Parts: sequence; structure tokens; C-alpha cells
Amino acid sequence: MLIYALVAGVLFGLYFSLVGIGLNLVFGVMRIVNLAHGDFLMLGAFVAFGIVTLAGIDPLFAVPLAFVVFLLVGVLLYWVLVPRLQGSVNPEMLSIILFFGLSQVIEAITTIFSGTSERSIQSRLLGTVFSTIKVKLFGGKPGPAGPVHIFGQGFPAPWVIAAGTSLLAIALVYVYLYRTRMGTLTRAVMSRRDEALATGIDVDRISAAAFGIGLGLAAVAGVFAPFMFGSVTPAFGADATVTSFAIVVLGSLGNPLGTALGGVVYGVCYMMVQTYLSSWADLLPYVLLIFILLLRPSGLLGRRVRVA
Amino acid sequence: MPSSLKHLLFMVVPLVVIFAVLPGVYQNHLLLFNFVIFLILAQGVNIIYGFTGYLPFGYVGFFGAGAYGFAIMVMQYQTPAVLAVIVAGLVGVALGLLLTPLLRLSGAYFAIANLAASLAVLHFVANPALESVTRGPYGVALSGTFDPNMAYAAAVVVMALTLVFVVFLKNSRFGLALQAVREDSVSASMAGVDVVRMRVIAWLASALVAGLAGGVYAWYVSVFYPDNVFSGDFSIFAIVFALFGGVATITGPIIGVIMLYGIYNLIGFTAPQYFQLIYGLLIMGLVLFLPAGLVSLATRRGWHVP
Amino acid sequence: MSPDSKPILNVSKVVKRFGGFYALDGLSFHVVSGEILGLVGPNGSGKTTAINVISGLYAPDGGEIVMDGVSIGGMASHKLVHRGVNRTFQVPKPFMSLTVRQNIEVALAYGRAAVTPPTTEALLDEYRLAEVADRPAADLNNVQQKILDLVRALATRPRLLLLDELAAGLNPTELDWIAERIKALAQTGIAIIVVEHLMGFIEHITDRVIVMNAGKEIFEGKLAVAVQVPQVIEVFLGGEHAA
Repeated sequence: MLIYALVAGVLFGLYFSLVGIGLNLVFGVMRIVNLAHGDFLMLGAFVAFGIVTLAGIDPLFAVPLAFVVFLLVGVLLYWVLVPRLQGSVNPEMLSIILFFGLSQVIEAITTIFSGTSERSIQSRLLGTVFSTIKVKLFGGKPGPAGPVHIFGQGFPAPWVIAAGTSLLAIALVYVYLYRTRMGTLTRAVMSRRDEALATGIDVDRISAAAFGIGLGLAAVAGVFAPFMFGSVTPAFGADATVTSFAIVVLGSLGNPLGTALGGVVYGVCYMMVQTYLSSWADLLPYVLLIFILLLRPSGLLGRRVRVA
Repeated sequence: MPSSLKHLLFMVVPLVVIFAVLPGVYQNHLLLFNFVIFLILAQGVNIIYGFTGYLPFGYVGFFGAGAYGFAIMVMQYQTPAVLAVIVAGLVGVALGLLLTPLLRLSGAYFAIANLAASLAVLHFVANPALESVTRGPYGVALSGTFDPNMAYAAAVVVMALTLVFVVFLKNSRFGLALQAVREDSVSASMAGVDVVRMRVIAWLASALVAGLAGGVYAWYVSVFYPDNVFSGDFSIFAIVFALFGGVATITGPIIGVIMLYGIYNLIGFTAPQYFQLIYGLLIMGLVLFLPAGLVSLATRRGWHVP
Repeated sequence: MSPDSKPILNVSKVVKRFGGFYALDGLSFHVVSGEILGLVGPNGSGKTTAINVISGLYAPDGGEIVMDGVSIGGMASHKLVHRGVNRTFQVPKPFMSLTVRQNIEVALAYGRAAVTPPTTEALLDEYRLAEVADRPAADLNNVQQKILDLVRALATRPRLLLLDELAAGLNPTELDWIAERIKALAQTGIAIIVVEHLMGFIEHITDRVIVMNAGKEIFEGKLAVAVQVPQVIEVFLGGEHAA
């Protein structure tokens, strides 16, 4: 039971890191609170629904599609909304309200086109591409992937696939931030926006890219949401936003890599409470969020990582 | 005539009289009641956000706690409704006291923590484990105190008190010092202002207002579920109404409620998702083009807006 | 001012750390009523930190700050204001959306001045802000905001006034004017500590200077004497010569 909860916690935790990382990137670079973050997760889930119903292929193909589409959407939205917002007296505060408005718009449009019913995808559809490849290469019977065995316990394959994809996405974010020129500039903007501006860095271009990547990552996380949470409705976004905040703050607001740690800690706590104290599990994200903010406002990793 | 008296005579008194008389001539009492509730909540947001700069994104926490404070007094102790409303206000204050550490956080951190706090209170109240106290997720039914007319009157009284407090803030050194703290807390402390005390007072006043509003709301509707009285819509509507009119004024939130809640009721009930769309676009337009609210149209021209 | 008059403020061996960095490392000095004391030193020598610690913005990590025989180290800023301490800021931070008049009224109402403070009108006239009295502070230029910051401090009737680079950015006429104002304030018995980079200005208005380096004092006395002390010259020029 304990081992099951721990492993499931880590798997969920890696996925939670992916859920939060885009939000953190946007806040870190722009000091903007994207309250519509969860709605982009929800839209990512709808991309997965679309792939399954229209093309009838493995929802895993929705991952690159969702990322590219929302990267472009993000860049476009950045130019429409953010420069004007940054010109106001109190952008950080007003961003909360602006993006709340955006989340309402997204939720309304999704409801208009798809109704309010819950949608889910049969979990055996995810990862069929792997079994197909396996059949092609090694022969054998085509069939759904069974549970994956870790430490002698069986876990649903989608959990493992989601955790693996998340790990890959976080690694790519790391490569972007620390191994590319754009990433170096992004980190410069994160640490001192005003000085970056003064040294002639094109802050808007860097921020637009970060905003696009942030939304793209949210949408990728959304692709897996139907498998991790069972089903998704247009109203799913609001809860996802608060959960993302808990994860992000836990890791350290403004430090995207801290989110990986925050996600895992959150995931393990979540599974532990779920296993041993299930009636209070709903309270966890909120209480955790408040305590972390009050006791260690800089998050578990604090500033040291950012300086190093 | 001092300006505070002018504000009381020409704004507070007419508004209170209008809402006292309207039920006699207008049939939809629920709508009138909701108007009064939102006038209270928008001014409550005005007190904390307009005068101190803290954005209470989980403002509904106080409202819901007040509603449950009322319900528990009536269910468990069979107290008269008026006493239960007062207790509702005190429950709001108690929750405010519990949350005072949040005031150490600034900007977005405060707003998010406050949102989380309101959701934590919701999940606490709605927990099936507390069914014997709060009835958990199954909601409460308070048939014993059901009296919409008295509840409406109580709401108007709470609105009047709230407005009087805002008039005081607008015309007193206390209100001026609060705004100084909002603008720059370090400079304010070097002007001799006890920054922490000022913030706590404004925070608790704002919590009291929402707690009282929650109490009269529970009295009026008498049957409700946790999701009703902790609905995030209360926070958001109150914030948007206050912002739309313009905070740190007496008139701004009033104009905001009357205009936006009016529009809401014209288009809101028939097609909620279209309404949500228009509302979302309106909020975005507000932030991008009129961040200081409608009153800024006048103040930009150098007119003074009370 | 006689040299043996009792100091209003006594700073002894004050330490202030930020992480592992010692911004103040055993700073000691005193100032007496009616005296203008200059705090000089290279960038990062701890001048502004000293002002911030004395005015209650930071609590000291060690040592003692005594005013009128009472230890005031770590006391909250507003309480220090009520005891007669006030300051200006290097980058002035007036209450931007409030009018100039309201800015002053806040300090008059909450400063709890021991003696009757001057009226708003008198302060506005004396410090040349009467014309902009009803404009929001955000409309003022940088120099006007600095003056407003000073007036905000004066409205609380301080007996110890800390001026952090008040003169930076002023033109020569404004400099002469503000120098006279500061001297006049000292003559009313206010003890004034001035942090400034303009040596001419320091020379002109101070009675005595403390030269700081690496968080502690390395010289105390007249500026004219200080500039002949090898250690002081080393501190001011050493870094550049070495580079």
C-alpha cells in the first residue's frame, strides 16, 4: 500500500510538474498571473478528443499538435494582451483580472461548441502506437498495453506514459533555458526585467516566446488530463489553475525547474492523503498552498537554485 | 457643509431610501435583494482593495463563512435571526483574524493565497465528516427563520452601515493614511503611520461586511448548499463591479453594480454561456482600456469624483 | 554646539548582515543636536544601510543604537517617527496618487509631533510647492518629489533627520537653496545626518564627517582633514588605481 502510494505519487507528481511548469514560466518571465492556465489544459484535452474522434489514432499524436497550436496561439495572445497590460499602473494585479476574463471567454466558447457534458477517452487508446511498433518489429499479437509493473505493483499504462512525457518535456525546458541563446536571454529577463530592457534585449520577443511555450506546455499537459483525472468538462480549467498554483508555489514561483520538485512533492502528498485520509484530500492543495506561502514564500528551492 | 455630510445626504440616504421603497413598487424582490447584496460586497472589496491595494480574490470565503455562521446559530442554538446575523459578521471577522498572516504576502501572492483560503473553507465546511455540524455537502434548510421581508430590511441596514464606513474612509485622515499605505508602505511608516495596524483594521472591516452580507443572504434564501454560498462568482462579481466603477471612491462601486448587474439580469438568465462570453470580453476590455474604472473618465478631465 | 554636549544619537558597534555579507560591520559614531554630520564613503560602504537601520527599516543584527538614552535598535519605523526620527529616501517615494497637500496631511496627522508642527500652507510656501499643492504627487518632477519627501519628514517635527542623497540631481541654484534650508534646520536644534556623494556640498554644510568603508568608520572629523589621511585616500581611489 505504501509503496503503491509512493510510486503512484511520483508518477502523478511528474505529471503535476508538467501541469504547473507553463504557469511558472509565464509568471517568472512576465510577472503575469495566467489565471486562464487551467483553461489551456482543458483545451489541450479537447485536442486529444478531436484526434481520437476525427482521426481515430493514438491520442499521443495530440501532444505535438497541441504544443504547436498553442505555441502559436500564445505568441498571438501575447501581442494582443500583454504589452498593453504592462503599460498600466499595476500589471501584476490587473493580470489576474485580465486573465480571469480570458478564462471566462474560453470556457464560454468551449461550452457553446461542445456543451457542458463530461468527456473522457478510453484509457487503452493511449499508447497504442507503442504496441503497434512492437508488433511490427517483434511480431506477436496486437492488443492494448496492459498495466506497467513497477516494484511488483501494476500501474495503469497512461500514468506511466504521462509521467514519461512530462519528464521529457521538463528536460526540454531545461535545455531551452540553459543551452540555447534564447534561453539565456529568457533567464536574463527573469532575473531583472528592467536591466534586460536597458541592455537592449528584445524583452517582448523573449516574453512572447515564453508565453507561447507556457501555453504549449499547458496544452500538452491537457492531452493527458482525461486519463489522469478520468474526464474533463469546460469548467475543469478553474480547479486546474488552483492546483497548478499550489504546485508552482511549492517548487518556487519564478523558477520553472523548481516546479519539477514541487510537482513530485505535491504528487506524493496527494497520493498519501488519498490513501490514508481520503475525505480530506480535497483540502490538500489549498492548505498546502497557504502554508508554503506563509512559511517559505520563496518555495522549497528558494532563490539558491536561481542564483546558482 | 463638510463633505462627509454632503456624501451622506446626497448619496447614502437616497440610495437607502430607494432600496427601502422599491419592494413596494417592484415585484422581483429577489433581484432587488441581490442588488443590495452586491452593493455591500462591492463596497467591501472597495474597502480592502481600493483603500489598501490587497486584491481579495477569495472574498467569498467571508461571505460563505457568514452564511454558515448564521445557519449554525439557527440550527444548533435556535437563536433569533438578528442575533445570528451579528454572529455571521463576527464569524467573518474571526476568519479574517485567522487569515491576517496572509497580509504579509504582496501582490499576486496575496490574491492567490486568499483564493486558496476561500476554497479551503469551502472544502472544510462541505466535508461529509462534519455533517453533524454543517450538514456537509447536503446543504442546510432553515425553515424556522424564513422571513424574506425582514431579511431584506436587514440587508438594507447592512448596506447603509457599509456605505457610512466608506464615506468615513473617503473623508477621514484614517482613510487618507490607508491610501498612503497602499501607495508606499515604507513612506507611510515614515509619516508615522502604523502600517500593520491600518491594514489589519481595513481587512477586518472588509471581512465583517462580507460576513454580515453572508448572514442576511442565508436568512433570505434559507435553503442553500456550500457551493452556492462559496461560489467564486461572488468574489469575481464584487471585484469586477467595484473595478468597473472605480475603486477608492464612494460612487464607483455603486455605479459598477447598478450598470453591470443590470446588464447581467437583462441578458444573463436565458443563455448563460453567451452571457459568460460577453462578461469575459467586458472584463478584458475593462482591464486593457479603462483600468481605473468609469470614474477615471471624469477624473482624467480634472473633475473630482467622491 | 559645544563638543561636550550630550549626543542625541549614539551608534555603537552596529552590525547588519545580508546572508553572509556584512553591510555594517561594527559601525560606531554619534551626533549631537544642531549638528550636521556627513556620512561619506565609496559605493557599498554601508551609508544607506546605516540610515535604514537607524530609521527602523532593518533591525540591526548586533550592537546598540541609543537615542535620548533609550535603545531604539529594531524599533518599528512609525514608533521611531513618533520619537522624533525621520528621513528622506535616495529615490523619493511619495504617495503618488494623493495630492501634494494630502501627502503632507498624512504626516501631519500621524507624525505625533512633540511640538506643534508647522501648517500645511507654511510648509508648501517655504518649500516652493504651493503651486502644485493640489496636483497628484505623480505629476511632480524628480526634484519636486525629493523636496516633497523632505517636507513629509519635516511635518513630523523630527529632532534627528537623516538625508539620503537629497542633493543628487539638483541644479546649482537649487543646491544653494537646499544647503541654506538644511543649515537653517540645524540651527533650530535638529541633528542632521547627510549621506552625499557631492563633496563640495558636504564640505559646505557639514560640521563633521564620518568616512565609512566596508561597513565601519575609518575616520571621524573635518572633511578637509579627511582628504589628507592616506587611509581615506586609499579607500576612495584605491579601487580605481588597482583596476
